[in-house]
Amino acid sequence: MNNILEIFELNHSFDKEVYVLDNINLSVKSGEILSILGPSGCGKTTLLRIIAGLEKQTNGIIKINNKIVSDQSCFIPPEKRNLGLIVQERSLFPHLTNYENILFGIKDLDDKNEIARDYLELFKIDHLKDKYPHEISGGEQQRIALARSLAPSPALLLMDEPFNALDEKLKIEMYAEIKKIFKEKKLTVLIVSHDRDEAAFLSDKLITIEDGSIKEMLDTN
Amino acid sequence: MKNLYKIIFGTIISIFILNGTLADEVNIYTSRHYDSDDALYSEFTAETGIQVNIISGGGNALMERLKAEGKNSPADIFFTVDAGNLWRVQKEGYFKSIESENIKSIVPENLRGPNDEWVAIAKRARVIYYNPSVISPEEMKNLNYEDLSNSDWKGKIAIRGSSNMYNQSLVASLISKHGVNQTEDWARGLVSNFARKPQGNDRAQIMAVANGEATLAIANSYYVGIMLSGRSGEEQLAAAKKVKIHFPNQDNRGAHINISGAGILKNSPNHDNAIKFLEFLLSKKVQKYMVNLSYEYPILPGVEPHPSIASFGTEFIEDRTSVANYGKYNTDAVMLMDRAGWQ
Amino acid sequence: MLKFQAINFWGSITYLILALFVLPVIIIISSLFGEWSENWSHIYNFVLFDYVSNSILLVMGVTVVVFIIGVGTAWIITNYKFFGKNVLEWALILPLSVPPYILAYTFTGLFDTYGTANNLLRDLFNLQSDYAFFPNIRNIYGAIIVFSFTLYPYVYLVSRSAFLNQSQAMIEAARLLGLNKIQVFFKLAVPIIRPAIIGGIMLVSMETLSDFGAVDHFAIQTFTTGIFRTWYGMYDINTAMQLASMLLLFVGLFLILERYSRNNAIYTSKSSTFRPIKLTKLQGHQGGLAFLICFLPVFIGFILPILELSFWAFERNLNFFDYKFLITTQNTIILAITAGILCSIFALLVNYSIRFNKDNFSRHAGSLLSLGYAVPGLILAVGIVQLFTWLDATVFVTSEIVLTGSLIGLIFAYIIKSYALANSSIESGYERISSSIDDSARVLKSTGFDMLKRIHFPLLKTSFLTSTLLVISEVTKELPATLILRPFNFDTLAVSTYIYAAEERMMQASAPAIAIVMVGLIPIIILTKMIRTSRPGKRDYE
Repeated sequence: MNNILEIFELNHSFDKEVYVLDNINLSVKSGEILSILGPSGCGKTTLLRIIAGLEKQTNGIIKINNKIVSDQSCFIPPEKRNLGLIVQERSLFPHLTNYENILFGIKDLDDKNEIARDYLELFKIDHLKDKYPHEISGGEQQRIALARSLAPSPALLLMDEPFNALDEKLKIEMYAEIKKIFKEKKLTVLIVSHDRDEAAFLSDKLITIEDGSIKEMLDTN
Repeated sequence: MKNLYKIIFGTIISIFILNGTLADEVNIYTSRHYDSDDALYSEFTAETGIQVNIISGGGNALMERLKAEGKNSPADIFFTVDAGNLWRVQKEGYFKSIESENIKSIVPENLRGPNDEWVAIAKRARVIYYNPSVISPEEMKNLNYEDLSNSDWKGKIAIRGSSNMYNQSLVASLISKHGVNQTEDWARGLVSNFARKPQGNDRAQIMAVANGEATLAIANSYYVGIMLSGRSGEEQLAAAKKVKIHFPNQDNRGAHINISGAGILKNSPNHDNAIKFLEFLLSKKVQKYMVNLSYEYPILPGVEPHPSIASFGTEFIEDRTSVANYGKYNTDAVMLMDRAGWQ
Repeated sequence: MLKFQAINFWGSITYLILALFVLPVIIIISSLFGEWSENWSHIYNFVLFDYVSNSILLVMGVTVVVFIIGVGTAWIITNYKFFGKNVLEWALILPLSVPPYILAYTFTGLFDTYGTANNLLRDLFNLQSDYAFFPNIRNIYGAIIVFSFTLYPYVYLVSRSAFLNQSQAMIEAARLLGLNKIQVFFKLAVPIIRPAIIGGIMLVSMETLSDFGAVDHFAIQTFTTGIFRTWYGMYDINTAMQLASMLLLFVGLFLILERYSRNNAIYTSKSSTFRPIKLTKLQGHQGGLAFLICFLPVFIGFILPILELSFWAFERNLNFFDYKFLITTQNTIILAITAGILCSIFALLVNYSIRFNKDNFSRHAGSLLSLGYAVPGLILAVGIVQLFTWLDATVFVTSEIVLTGSLIGLIFAYIIKSYALANSSIESGYERISSSIDDSARVLKSTGFDMLKRIHFPLLKTSFLTSTLLVISEVTKELPATLILRPFNFDTLAVSTYIYAAEERMMQASAPAIAIVMVGLIPIIILTKMIRTSRPGKRDYE
């Protein structure tokens, strides 16, 4: 299987003195779910933002689908990397209905509504489609966010502590459900988390970051 | 949103319409504006077919606009109050001499620019108001501006602030007579005689005399006419009925005169129309019409001022020194008043 | 956020416009590098001290009073329920439609020794003809009252929206820790919304400093009257512009300080749980007191001047309502709306460019442009005339004058003059949009103009409207720049008012003055409608 994401010798510093990320090397294969685990402040969110193109690394190479998206000489902006992103804070567009949120990123004009309806069904959120994000619960909001990210069929889905704001019971329900969806759809996913159980449950592979560098790499299968 | 676009485009289009110039017109920058003026301009258009375009504003601001516009300025005539303003435009070289014999024969030399760059259209005197039931006309007799610094008048004189151009012109005229040092002494004396901190306009000074807050008030002649007309309310009418005018310096150089005046600009695009307009302003009909509404004194001999202002006397001696001096000494006058503590 | 994005098309357009708009301010400041005339020694020796000390006293007095009125009424309105509250909530904004110079005119008309109020009292109680109950108001204290009661709504507006957004949980926690309501107000609620209050007070101070009409009418020697005395009396426009530049630099210093103090603290609550504030019902004399406190500013700043103006207008038999009056009103409205929309679009573009490019040029130019609000209108107009005639001569290369004396020029001037107002509401709107929204949009392939159109503009709709309305109300009142920059035969309501008021013919001035207030009232009423609907629930994105 080919690699969707590859990172070589990535370093990053904010003030040119202390490295927040130090010599990171990793790869994610197509259809694989990888978790990056670490305490808060270890640089894992920064890594995710660098992969997304929301931040530029100090040194190193990032390849997506075997194409260099960022190195010393080239930089492809986030909108051209074909990614999905789920963050911990609420990032749904509050002025749009949930349905309009899901439609937002779909470029395929002809099948727009069909694609959106598929995802409404997939995440069992059909009944929420005409409501606004602030009118629904936190768990429901994350479902909408997932549907919105997946609707444009990204090559890679990035998730930053996606279930942090949810309560325990809801979390466990969601884990099983989304893992099923990821596997059914053969999605390539990279999850950032500080919760070892969550990471172990969701992913095929697990990487631990401490003080900016990779400490261990596990195959959870 | 559609409508908003319409408004924006409409405005942009109208800019060109508004800026479009007509063939037969005269463009006037004026700092003098009365309700009556509109009627006057329509009358001019009716008589001559020449359209009158107006921008009114402060004299100083209009002058900056003239300066910036330079030789591209559309302005034909600069019309303003106070000789000092006219002098400044003349000094900057924006006026050209007015070459109408007709106009020169009407306006006396002391009410024109040094080389006829501008001419007076109407005039006013800066006079002393008093209440005859407080102070008799005999006591007022032979009172000169110079006497107002005598300590006899301590706490008795009302006059407005020194930012006012009429006061600046009055002080400038005294500088032209007596020099800066002597005038400064005079101003210090006058300030120490103030009945109150300078405040309000000329009419407020007349009110102060009528109500006994002050014995003498220095103010322009036409204000009492406006007050007597009742246009500004019962209160002012009653006050105006109580006061009399004293024309100062009657046994020497005469009462201080200032003017409303106009000049033609060097780059005037409609020069002939401008001359016609000035001649129109100095015609018998218009002079009568103007002074009847503004209560100023006419320039054209044979025209009477409004009866209510004429009743205070028309046969007074006027200071014949050139009003152009006011501009020349204006800066000195302002600095001198600052030094004398005249707020 | 991105630091490395190349300057795009929209960025360069913004740069170009921004540079053009900043030029008049730069022209004014450049006078400092010109010749310094000998008049300076006179100014320095005899008058400068008075100008500076009076201006400082005035601004400090106004700051204190608008703080008390603006923040106090906002707190009462957000936290209590009492008789008349629903009306006062929006009525408190009404004084914004009254320009300070008009309040000054009506104040002297009312409270001078022979003003309406004193006459009335004398008639009522049969007092001596020189008895005056009300103290003289033609002094610095009178001026402080005039500015405070016309400008406090800026502080009221920002404080109210900040109080509404304050986390209720935090206030409750403080109450449980044993603070009473008054302690909560002083120790918690006010310090937390400090940046909002300072922003409002900066606007008020800038407008106070740049005003000429009101201080001139009261014959107070401030920095601004000094500028005009130097220009008009000493015939020295260059020194006048140098004085104005000093005023500008002084204000600029404060703007920088304000920004610095804001950068060091993040005050916005990111709590995701929001509960509406529980209103405490006030009854009996407590309710009466709350009513009085909130009614007084509306009475002094709005009802009183309107009554006096109407009194004058009716004395003149209402014959002002003619064709010319309608045209003048129409001119005013069209100009104000156009300037309001353009100025808001412009502020939106500048703030967008700052947000995305982390762009120092836009940031500094934006701050410089905000200074336009502190320049006396006429001085600004002189800077603009100089720029325009230069553009006419070099860019348009015509012998005709294109920009000077056109409506484009006038709108240009309004945009510079009111940019600070537009910016204040657009900027605070942007601060409330979380950067994760931008991130999500970018990853979903929405960037540049598309993001502005699909995400920012809809989210900023309320801020945009507020900005537009504030500018409209400012432009309706604007006088000095209009006077010198307008085309031939083109009057606005402020011009009509001025022409009469300059001669102190208040009877004739009262009709256009009322019309200014009425036209200014329309945006204010829309604004108040918005405030009432911007209740929690919708708050998520505003």
